[in-house]
Amino acid sequence: MKHPNQATLALHAGGDLGFFARRRTEKHLARCESCREELAAFEGIREALPGLSETPEIQWNLLAAEMKANIRLGLAAGECVRSGESAPRRMRLFTGARAAVALASIVALVATGVLLENSAPSRAEQRTVVQRTADGIQVGTGDQAFRLMHTGVSADEVTLSVGAQGSMGARYVDPKTGYVTINSVYAE
Amino acid sequence: MRSKGRRRLATLILLCATRLVAQDIALPKDSININLAKDSPVTVVGMISNESRATARGSLLVLDLHMALTFRNAGASRIHGVMLRVVSQEVTLGGKGSVTIPSMNIAPGEEFPVRIDMQLVRPTQMAGGPLVEVDLDGVLYQDLSFYGPDHLHSRRYLTACEVEAQRDREYLKRVLAQGGKEGLRREVLQIGARQQTVPLNVKVVPHGPTVTSAALPPEHPEKFALVEFPDSPVEALEGWAQVAGNEARSPNIEVRNRSGKPVKYVELGWVLSDQAGRQSVAASVPSAERDLYLPPDKTLSVRQETTLRLFSASGQPANVQKMTGFINQVEFADGKVWVPSRRNLQDPALLRAVGPSAEEQRLASLYTRGGIEALVEELKKF
Repeated sequence: MKHPNQATLALHAGGDLGFFARRRTEKHLARCESCREELAAFEGIREALPGLSETPEIQWNLLAAEMKANIRLGLAAGECVRSGESAPRRMRLFTGARAAVALASIVALVATGVLLENSAPSRAEQRTVVQRTADGIQVGTGDQAFRLMHTGVSADEVTLSVGAQGSMGARYVDPKTGYVTINSVYAE
Repeated sequence: MRSKGRRRLATLILLCATRLVAQDIALPKDSININLAKDSPVTVVGMISNESRATARGSLLVLDLHMALTFRNAGASRIHGVMLRVVSQEVTLGGKGSVTIPSMNIAPGEEFPVRIDMQLVRPTQMAGGPLVEVDLDGVLYQDLSFYGPDHLHSRRYLTACEVEAQRDREYLKRVLAQGGKEGLRREVLQIGARQQTVPLNVKVVPHGPTVTSAALPPEHPEKFALVEFPDSPVEALEGWAQVAGNEARSPNIEVRNRSGKPVKYVELGWVLSDQAGRQSVAASVPSAERDLYLPPDKTLSVRQETTLRLFSASGQPANVQKMTGFINQVEFADGKVWVPSRRNLQDPALLRAVGPSAEEQRLASLYTRGGIEALVEELKKF
């Protein structure tokens, strides 16, 4: 029989365990006398705590030392109980049920990813900014951007202009048409 | 039997993972819509967009649109400039672009190519209908007459480009007449030197101040150093902007119409310099009023609620140390456009910040590809 550890019992005493862990622990406590005693000890400490908080003067160092001693005693008692039991049977890592759960988890993960990819999450409003990029100019807000590109033209062949009303221009000679081309983006 | 099952499982997981990492599909032809009015003086002869693709990158969808368009001049006059408006309704609310070809010389019946390479990044899946709409915003003719809806002020823009082109061609013709081909060659090489990348980058955050960063020093008003052009029809009197660290916002410049004609548009050049004396590109500060009317001898405030952020070439914030302003463009009520003369732009305060004009860029490229003879032949055409 595998006993729950000290932390699990302490959390159970405070009602802080999750649903599945609580059900497992309750099942074990129903047939394990020693763990029930440890649980009772934790519950006793909990009941004493409200009273302690009302005590005007507490010697915290002394109390901490006592608590540490009690925990050590409890751990030692737990070791004694476990040493009397036979070693747990070696179990196979992957049984049919576990493999099915693992596969279901992967499928759920992938499905969630696809859903997140396609969803349009709500985003905080951000300011519109007009700026140059590596090979173009853009007006963008948050995740959205509108870019006009001057692909195939080196940066020193592009003359930039800025409009204080919220615009930017990139002037270059298009290598394919031979014409001067002026791309402009506007934030209006 | 068991290994076969494992293989199937591995294939399933791999397929799902591939979908998560990347999705690359060709975009259908109806993703792009070219809208031309029935009386449009240009017609679409051909469109190739088969390299356009949609790619999923994480939760984002990246749409690469490559359009090779061919238009024909269906009018009776020579076309000297075209502006196309490019709009994507679903991406970046209010965001749009334009592709302009200035310095053209397209005879009636002649065809001309326009390439549009664009990228849309969006967080959602594609919806039905066209992703991009391309409209004709304006066409400028040799005699400076204009056709088009002019949503993006293409009339003024193309006219200014054409006036600059005439100015620069005349200058280069004078250089050729006085200094010969060698003199012209030297002048064209200087255009190439002015084409070098400006050391400071600018980001524009329109509509008011940005969220104040605790890292920025306190904001203070900084005065413009104004460059005076004696022949400018509008005079810049004084100006200032709020400056904090690498941010300069809300430029405000007082101007006076000293010409004899009413003015309907004024644009100022705005050059930012950092502590090391490095300059940004000249930002233009257009008058914001839609129905501006500035009579002779009257004054006006040109202002824009916008923030410029200054960065070095490596992306580090560069503190704004000095601001220079100059009159960059004036449009009169009769539609005529004034631009600075070449002598005006020789001012040392502007020389590095004001790049070559579109026409200078075209002629320098022509020289690079075809040599001095090709350049001389091109100048003779005008």
